[in-house]
Amino acid sequence: MAIRVALIGNPNVGKSLIFNNLTGGKAHVGNWPGKTVERKEGRCVYEGVEMEIIDLPGVYSLTANSIDELIARDYIVEEKPDVVVDIVDASNLERNLYLTLQLIELEANLVVALNKMDIARDMGYEIDVKALSEILGLPVVPTVATTKQGMDELKKAIIKAAQQRGRRRIRHISYGKDLEAIISTIEEILKKDRVLSSRYPTRWLAIKVLEGDEEVLRRIDRSPVKAELMEVLG
Amino acid sequence: MDSRGGKVQRRLSDLKPGEGGKIVRITGPPSLRRRLLDMGLVKGAYIEVVRKAPLGDPMEFLVKGYNLSLRKEECDNVYVST
Repeated sequence: MAIRVALIGNPNVGKSLIFNNLTGGKAHVGNWPGKTVERKEGRCVYEGVEMEIIDLPGVYSLTANSIDELIARDYIVEEKPDVVVDIVDASNLERNLYLTLQLIELEANLVVALNKMDIARDMGYEIDVKALSEILGLPVVPTVATTKQGMDELKKAIIKAAQQRGRRRIRHISYGKDLEAIISTIEEILKKDRVLSSRYPTRWLAIKVLEGDEEVLRRIDRSPVKAELMEVLG
Repeated sequence: MDSRGGKVQRRLSDLKPGEGGKIVRITGPPSLRRRLLDMGLVKGAYIEVVRKAPLGDPMEFLVKGYNLSLRKEECDNVYVST
């Protein structure tokens, strides 16, 4: 069976270029059901392994703010692709890693493509790729999409990540003592809703509940644990 | 102009090209604040005006090493200390 791979990243990180590099430019273009947002799919075969690549809309974050963000988030949460490649602009790390952290929270099976390494170097940045990979607890592959550098390494990392799916430990970021206490309280309540907790990561749900995320709150509205949650949230 | 806690705060929309400051406060409805935060406009970040469209809408800024364009109503909700 083909590995299902989703590409995600901020706008202007070279996502389409990487998509074209991986798929050889052959893409099936359509729309997301019921929405006027382009949906691009392509195929990639590397060392006999078949990959189905889907290009998600370019987004800065994964809140329920815009259609693009909702599409990207729903795809990752509902369709659960085997691997999610987060394309990060190396010349603008701080800005880009925000999305990475949100993807970690979503418990996506991540590979980070550190793109625009040439521009970062020209700007005088020296990025310790190994250290970044260790901090994030994720494979990080440096790439230059314009010259197709790092593409084989990226494909290898995707295949490896697919094989290790579900066996990797997720390194969550801590929000500090006070917030962590309430997050785990909410998580414990959410875990009692078997349907909800089997479909979504409970920690992510708990954080979204605290954020007041409309989409997540709507889902919890139908949950049998709603009353108990409301007691905690006041 | 607005002064709170003894410090002068100015709205982003009141700055001229070349001027900048540290973000101290973001107002407005939660969804707008959330979106601005998502775009890197966090408290303490330094932001500078790159240029302004003829009627001051939109404005282009430099924040955290990248360029960002904002509408006037968004700029109205961000306060910086200069």
